[in-house]
Amino acid sequence: METLKLEIVTPDGQIFADDVKTVTLPGSEGEFGVLPHHASLVSLLSAGIIDIELVNGNHELVAVDWGHAEIDEAKVTVLADGAVAIVGNNESAIADAIGKAKKLIESIGDSDIAIAMAEAKIDSIMKQRNS
Amino acid sequence: MANLKEIKRKIKSVENTKKTTRAMKLVSTAKLRRAEMAARKSKVYAQKINEVLSDIAQKINQYKIGGIGSRYFDLKDTVDKVDIIFVTADKGLCGGFNIQTIKEVQTLMREYKDKKVKVRLRAVGRKGVDFFRFQGVELLSSYIGVSSSPDYEKAQEIINEAIADFENGVTDKVILIHNGYKNMISQELKVVDIVPIEEPKSTQSASLSLMELEPAEDETILNSLMKKYFEYNMYYALIDSLAAEHSARMQAMDNATNNASERVNKLTLAYNKARQESITTELIEIISGVESMK
Repeated sequence: METLKLEIVTPDGQIFADDVKTVTLPGSEGEFGVLPHHASLVSLLSAGIIDIELVNGNHELVAVDWGHAEIDEAKVTVLADGAVAIVGNNESAIADAIGKAKKLIESIGDSDIAIAMAEAKIDSIMKQRNS
Repeated sequence: MANLKEIKRKIKSVENTKKTTRAMKLVSTAKLRRAEMAARKSKVYAQKINEVLSDIAQKINQYKIGGIGSRYFDLKDTVDKVDIIFVTADKGLCGGFNIQTIKEVQTLMREYKDKKVKVRLRAVGRKGVDFFRFQGVELLSSYIGVSSSPDYEKAQEIINEAIADFENGVTDKVILIHNGYKNMISQELKVVDIVPIEEPKSTQSASLSLMELEPAEDETILNSLMKKYFEYNMYYALIDSLAAEHSARMQAMDNATNNASERVNKLTLAYNKARQESITTELIEIISGVESMK
């Protein structure tokens, strides 16, 4: 199976680095998904959620506030100002991370729509995961 | 007897010095830990943003894309004016840390002078500023107090001035020099050409498709990315330099403490010898006095 190399870095260090199946990014012109062999692209990111589909089919979420993404055939590099990975071993850790992620997106708060969309997205994926 | 007293005084003074240097070493060790952490966190981001930019440089040069952004990537054959930004510490007592950077700056200046290229200096850190002032070299701008407590806004201010000159065509090249942190015991001099941005040296990331930009209509994205790149590079240079400064000082002070200990040992030996000598002299005096009484 073909994979993409995804790296998410912030000034506070690396948030994510692994091979992934697909990744959905919150571009400033709208959300877009990236599969392997994507054409070269540099895009501005707005506040939102990066949805990562791991090789094992699981989803991982990372909230970003603002940044750039460089995409080419084999790799995606996300340079974000701030990012919070929504991961945890138990319910409370995940809830904690979600709280942080919401705060991060709200801190940019350029539009209520972006915040609402991000929150809806987190909720829907969490529901999927729980079901 | 005067000799004895003098040696004792010396021992005391060396011991005081030793106390100071040891304290300074401890302070540097504590500060180093924090500075190193900050530098390590930012390192990945700095590396990535450089990678991304040099990828873009490669593509822009390949497809000869024009526009405002292209000036940043235009590697001219003839360079007339160069800005050198160099970062030194605000304080001394850190071994060859500052001198290394200053020497590199001087070498570069000489090289450019031979090529009839005008060089302007922008100095960050008191030590570098003082050195070149003393030499009578003109500094275009100098920033003191930034290198001991780097913050992002200051870094922005420094680099934006240099970049503005580059954008207006006043300069053709901007070089950033700082002495960076390598590990606990060594520093590494880093000389980076900030603009024009160089293509990657290895062509392994040879994705040759034309790059699209999004939003596409204007150059906002390129400009915002460039801005981030400049500012972050400057900021990284400052924190990296601070970490290196502390590691250099820690080492220098460690050496100084060791030297002081050695000196104390030597002086103690001399003191004991002198004391023994004076005892012997006294004994001889007494004995010869008793002898003469007989």
